[in-house]
Amino acid sequence: MDQILFALLNGAIYGLLLFMVSAGLTLIFGMMGVLNFAHASFYMLGAYLAYTLQPLTGFWLAIILAPLIVAGLGILVERVILRRVHAYGHAHELLVTFGLSVVIAEIIKIFYGNFPVEYRVPAELQFSAFEIGGGSYPFYRLFMGGVALMMFALLYLMLTRTRIGIVVRSAIYRPRMVEALGHNVPMVFMGVFGVGAFLAGLAGAVAGAFYTTNPNMALELGVMVFVVVVVGGLGSLGGAMIASLLIGVVTSLAVGVKVSIASLLDFIGLGDLARDVGGIFVLELSSVAATLPFFLMLLVLLARPSGLLGEKE
Amino acid sequence: MTLKRSLLVLAVVAVLAVLPYLVSESMTNAAIQMLIAALFASAFSLLCGQAGMLSFGHAAYFGLGSFAAVHAMNAFNGEGLLPTPLIPLAGAGIGLLAGIGAGWFSTKRAGVYFAMITLALAELLHALAPHLKDTFGGEAGISSFRMAAWGFDFGSTIQVYYLVLAWVVGSILLLYLLTLTPFGRLTLGLRENTHRLRFLGYNTHALGTAVFTISAMFAGIAGSLQAVNIEAANYVVFDAGISTTVVLNSFIGGVGTFFGPAIGAAVMTFFGHVTSDMTRTWLLYQGLIFVLVMMFLPRGIVGEAAEWLKNRKSRHLAIGPLFFRLAGLVLIAFGAIAAIELAQRFFSSDYKATVSLGNWPPVTFLGREWLPFAATTWIVPLALLGAGVALTLIVNRHTAKAAGEA
Repeated sequence: MDQILFALLNGAIYGLLLFMVSAGLTLIFGMMGVLNFAHASFYMLGAYLAYTLQPLTGFWLAIILAPLIVAGLGILVERVILRRVHAYGHAHELLVTFGLSVVIAEIIKIFYGNFPVEYRVPAELQFSAFEIGGGSYPFYRLFMGGVALMMFALLYLMLTRTRIGIVVRSAIYRPRMVEALGHNVPMVFMGVFGVGAFLAGLAGAVAGAFYTTNPNMALELGVMVFVVVVVGGLGSLGGAMIASLLIGVVTSLAVGVKVSIASLLDFIGLGDLARDVGGIFVLELSSVAATLPFFLMLLVLLARPSGLLGEKE
Repeated sequence: MTLKRSLLVLAVVAVLAVLPYLVSESMTNAAIQMLIAALFASAFSLLCGQAGMLSFGHAAYFGLGSFAAVHAMNAFNGEGLLPTPLIPLAGAGIGLLAGIGAGWFSTKRAGVYFAMITLALAELLHALAPHLKDTFGGEAGISSFRMAAWGFDFGSTIQVYYLVLAWVVGSILLLYLLTLTPFGRLTLGLRENTHRLRFLGYNTHALGTAVFTISAMFAGIAGSLQAVNIEAANYVVFDAGISTTVVLNSFIGGVGTFFGPAIGAAVMTFFGHVTSDMTRTWLLYQGLIFVLVMMFLPRGIVGEAAEWLKNRKSRHLAIGPLFFRLAGLVLIAFGAIAAIELAQRFFSSDYKATVSLGNWPPVTFLGREWLPFAATTWIVPLALLGAGVALTLIVNRHTAKAAGEA
């Protein structure tokens, strides 16, 4: 029971982190129609920059400065590169960001090496928050969840309660009309891109210390984020939230489950036959937990191709 | 195809046919890899260039083809149903089957969704493969041997080269003939206007699945040729890097033309082979070239060249600006390469191991010693880079002004 509780908490916090990255991705897509393939690279950059800044500025300043630098880089990418290829169409924009993600990963490998770096949770944050049944729960996990929740609250309030939010939301639906009303839409786009990059960078700076910081983290998380937006429905913040939590919780629960297809077939008496065949039939769910999100995605595609909260095309 | 183009293609095939007698064995090996990469890129761009469906997970079908070939080689020992020269049929078969399944799922959605689904499917396979030891051999992979068949022993590089050449030329020919059929025309329709095709009564989902399947099948052939060449397969072939490389290569060549992706892949593979002793960061150069091509030559290098050749009569060639642009490009390239290579050397773990307290040894690059804190080490590459950019900007302004006056 305690383990299930822990798994649920871990999953929810991982889901919140996923949401932090996918929120920016889905916002940018909703506004500009650009699927930013380099978005997860911003997450990685956040982690590496925070790691680099930490010895100089201390942990707290590092996790604030790193996302700001990433936001600056994001704005630069939007202004210098994306605007240039905008005329060639959305597929081209996707490809350019794809190329960028390769370049960023390779540059990281040059400077930091093709292995994980020693980015650790600072000692003053390494204590347990509470204990249940003998197991202690690290405070830092709660801290990550807290940062993510705070960001959503801010983002939500900004989008729904401020003038800027109204302009941003209307620019998603009628960019030309908003421009005709005298708002600087390219500036709004740039701002949203910057905010999206900031969120991803912050997620990286905070989570990189807890999980590993290595040159593959962008790809690993990026794939998960894509699964999240396909499951949730691209362009929908609510859908991204539900899908992130769902994927986080499912993956983390599955790690503790020792069930294989063969053991399920035992119920109808075919278990031994399946065990003889081996291969995929005897794989335990716990060892393939990382692949569950993909199956979830295929399921959603079958049942509801536009995603949980996506609009029909 | 015009007569001129057919003759050109025939000439290329003729050169390829005598190539092993002209170059060294290591170059023949490079040529085998180039041919495989060219076929893989052609298969990829049937889907991506002609049908307009961008796949980020083509390594899956390439890899499945590889494993199918290794298993077939072990099962048949080069005899019976599948003698060594026919092994790629196993890759084609498995590519076909995987393509039907994956294609049915991924073509349910178009555009960016399609791209994300293909990536996720490939990553699913990549995550699953190490756990399935019987099929994919775990970390070590599976190895095999090319057995003698049909009077060839396939022991030398040259015989493998001809086997690969025959399969690659045959496959690319089939892919080309496909573009001439009504099905090939429909494929283009899928890219240009899916809605209209549906209004005309075509089943676009089935059509998309079919195109995906054919593309996966030829990717499987490319993968199995790779397995025949290296006599082994490892789950690393499912790595995202393989999918990435084929996307980069194809678009650098230009997916708008039929031969663009193949040429792009062959050339990039060649440079990758040649520079593999000199640099460890080939993928970075590939990525940079890709981003620059996407920004400044949106049709790809072969695509832009073809366009320029088509219009060359109507456009007069300005030698001056072209010369200065090329000079600028060369300066930028040299500056960037010097900066990247020096940074790579100074930040490598080998270098960190040689550094002792207060003692920073120089690194060698281009036969010269470079000290980490010497001003010249960093000023030279940056100056080259700056000069190149400045030259390009000046030429651009100049030609824009001239065009404005004219």
